[in-house]
Amino acid sequence: MAIDEKLLKSIIAEVLKDMNGAEAPAAPKASAAADLELTETGDAEKGTNPNEVVLGVAPAFGVSQTTNILGVPHGQIVKEIMAGIEEEGVSCRVVKVYRTSDVSFVAHDAAELSGSGVGIGIQSKGTTVIHQKDLPPLSNLELFPQCPLIDLETYRQIGKNAAKYAKGESPSPVPVKNDQMARPKYQALSAVLHIKETEHADRDKAPKALKVTFK
Amino acid sequence: MRSKRFEVLDQRPVNQDGYVKEWPEVGLIAMNSPFDPEPSIKIVDGKVVEMDGKKREDFDMLDVFIADYAINLEDAEEAMATDSLQIARMLCDINVTRDEVLKYTLAITPAKLVDVVGNLSVLEAMMGITKMRARKQPANQCHVTNVKDNMVQIAADAAEAAVRGFAEMETTVGIVRYAPFNALAIMVGANVGRPGILTQCAVEEATELDLGMRGYTAYAETVSVYGTEDVFMDGDDTPWSKAFLASCYASRGVKMRFTSGTGSEVQMGMAEGKSMLYLEARCLGVTRGAGVQGTQNGSVSCVGVPAAVPGGIRAIACENLIAGMLDLENASSNDQTFTHSDLRRVARSMPQFIPGTDYICSGYSATPNYDNMFAGSNWDAEDYEDWCTIQRDLRVDAGLQPASEEEVVAARSKAAKAIQAIFAELGLPEITDAEVEAATYANGSKDMPDRNVVEDLKAAEDMLARGVTGVDFVKALYKGGFEDVANSIFQIQKAKVVGDYLHTASMLDSDFHVISAVNSCNDYHGPMTGYQISPERWEKMSNIRKAVDPATL
Amino acid sequence: MDQELLVRQIMQEVLKNMQGAQAAPAGDTVTAADYPLGESMPEKIKSASGKTLDELTLDKVISGELTAADFRITKETLELQAQVADSVGRKTFGMNLRRAGELIPVPDARLLEIYNALRPYRSTKAELYAIGDELINQYGATVTGNFVKEAADVYEKRGRLKKA
Repeated sequence: MAIDEKLLKSIIAEVLKDMNGAEAPAAPKASAAADLELTETGDAEKGTNPNEVVLGVAPAFGVSQTTNILGVPHGQIVKEIMAGIEEEGVSCRVVKVYRTSDVSFVAHDAAELSGSGVGIGIQSKGTTVIHQKDLPPLSNLELFPQCPLIDLETYRQIGKNAAKYAKGESPSPVPVKNDQMARPKYQALSAVLHIKETEHADRDKAPKALKVTFK
Repeated sequence: MRSKRFEVLDQRPVNQDGYVKEWPEVGLIAMNSPFDPEPSIKIVDGKVVEMDGKKREDFDMLDVFIADYAINLEDAEEAMATDSLQIARMLCDINVTRDEVLKYTLAITPAKLVDVVGNLSVLEAMMGITKMRARKQPANQCHVTNVKDNMVQIAADAAEAAVRGFAEMETTVGIVRYAPFNALAIMVGANVGRPGILTQCAVEEATELDLGMRGYTAYAETVSVYGTEDVFMDGDDTPWSKAFLASCYASRGVKMRFTSGTGSEVQMGMAEGKSMLYLEARCLGVTRGAGVQGTQNGSVSCVGVPAAVPGGIRAIACENLIAGMLDLENASSNDQTFTHSDLRRVARSMPQFIPGTDYICSGYSATPNYDNMFAGSNWDAEDYEDWCTIQRDLRVDAGLQPASEEEVVAARSKAAKAIQAIFAELGLPEITDAEVEAATYANGSKDMPDRNVVEDLKAAEDMLARGVTGVDFVKALYKGGFEDVANSIFQIQKAKVVGDYLHTASMLDSDFHVISAVNSCNDYHGPMTGYQISPERWEKMSNIRKAVDPATL
Repeated sequence: MDQELLVRQIMQEVLKNMQGAQAAPAGDTVTAADYPLGESMPEKIKSASGKTLDELTLDKVISGELTAADFRITKETLELQAQVADSVGRKTFGMNLRRAGELIPVPDARLLEIYNALRPYRSTKAELYAIGDELINQYGATVTGNFVKEAADVYEKRGRLKKA
């Protein structure tokens, strides 16, 4: 059989993986080069387009933290959410919320800026909420509390459902995964990431509009 | 090359858990932080003008509330001037009574409380818990939930849990609109198993109060307080709003306790650089200041955070102890899953299991963990006989007792039939004989047939709209042929008129007699004092199912 | 030492019993010695509808003579329970029971509204003061009304009032 470069690479990868396989699951390294550039273009405006969803990202998102808790790059996550929204023929604006790092409030702020009243909030570690501006801040349309269990497919579904709410539909909620062992494995790590995010919060700073460039 | 030994170690459950090193500057430290404030108090004209190194003008909301409501000021100067080590020694000195210790501990600030317990080893903290627990006899609480929100299974599991010894039970929901049915099912099921069990349904604050007002629950616990002002704001409350809520419950004759625990502030990223235990001491100050009779604490749902740092499980024991030092009822957590390791989960529970607390678990899962809607408990139904065997091994009464298959099946069957009857009487969607049969023999919801959820939710909403109350449950049970269960629910409604059970660490026995830290206050002061296991109780605890009688061999 | 302790405990018990014996017939204040009140003085405990504890029976529930309204606690009963709390040194708990007593006439829905108004950033200072006055003037809830006003003052200082 012919050994091409691709096969060789995959064999080497496989062997390396086996050699490391028995290691305890390592904490994800947040050093992965950012695959996303977020440029602030001034204060975020209150939207008038009823056919939009606003995606609010938490203070450290894409800047001092560039991957979620499992090491999935933020660019891929944003790409999936936006694709999910756009699939439904709805447009998406991305804003950065500074006043808080709490995902419910980030999502609620996004919803208030959204022309449709529907917003999504996401923290750097990956926790996500779909919100509606008329709900109390600590309530939500859909909540995905266990960030280690949200895969890219789920992020796309979240975008899709948010778009459906924006159009006035009542989609069935995205199935929430539940793993009681996520707490022992990730709760403390999640706290550390959240502390680091909160250090970038600024109670008096208004939400900023973002230009998104994928790299 | 990798060491084969380390390959094996890497696969062990203990190494599937997450751990982090301390980071005291942001509060990622369990207790004894160099950044915790120095204890201090200055009182001028009966008003606290300085507390724990802060001037009154710099007080945040919690400082104001604690300084104005939580501290016995008449004893404060003397108590604050007493060496923390001396108070620590009193806690584990059998010659100093609980009342004498309280004179000091009710008069000191949060920083001083933490400074005192910071001197204790975990064993000494356990000795402190033995003495400072409010009620004389320990008890236990369970969770009764399932992923389908199946009310027949809830009733059956609650009945079984009652037979096994739990004095208090808590349910919650997958789908919020199921709350009225779940609350009804746990109340009926629990009181089939043993008359006089108090039940609650954990839902959003305002909804929970509403259920209590309607007579669907007997107490409430999901009323959270936090140790920093910023986290309080994110929790959408203040010490004043929570204190008001507490009075609302009592005004309707419904018992309640607050909830707090180490790790919640640092998990929210707003610990202000203070240790987890110091912030929990502030929570308990707010609890006492609000005049609430008790607390559910012991990290609770944040347990993964203290458990990941050094000394975290000791800190959890210390927060339970501080609850006792503030004369509060203590439902001491031991509920949420925090580890993959069976060894760690047993070790984590020993500081409450051995000394005994008012409610050792605040919730033990009365179902297999896959049905636990509080994201899994440290102990579940499949551990029932482990718990009872450990009680028997150590001769410790941790609230449960062995039960035979016959007893359990009989209780489950009766509970399932009782909920079937009440549904029929109240015109709710039918509970079939097949469901009753399934619930009688089920281990978990995988053994239960599905119900028509849309129809159930509509009926639940309609039941609330019709204004059906606890009194209607009594009538329906009576008409359905369950006079004894009707009487139990009636007695619980009556307890709310009297208010005896509003007091610290209350529970009802099977004759609806209130046992609390008023008429059964903990009087432990050394060997052969305090709660003692009676010969009848020991007989019951000893008789585990698998023990062979030598006479039969 | 043990003996000393024993003597002290017996003394305490005797004193407690003496206090109890005095309090029960006098009827002005009650203590832990009268507890549980439902057992020691059922004739004195009345529900909000005026029924004594002895009149609250299962038979009367079944016959329809009693309704949910007959199962509400009164201000007087909460005051007695507060006295029990005071007698065992639980003063803050006693205060809570007294605030609760004041809230008995406030309708369920209004209680929930006031609770929500006390949450952060929900109300202006004037709104909270108005609630305080409503509690005091309309329901005679003086302690609780002032408690709400005190909250307004603290919220103002800490920037937790509704943003104008």
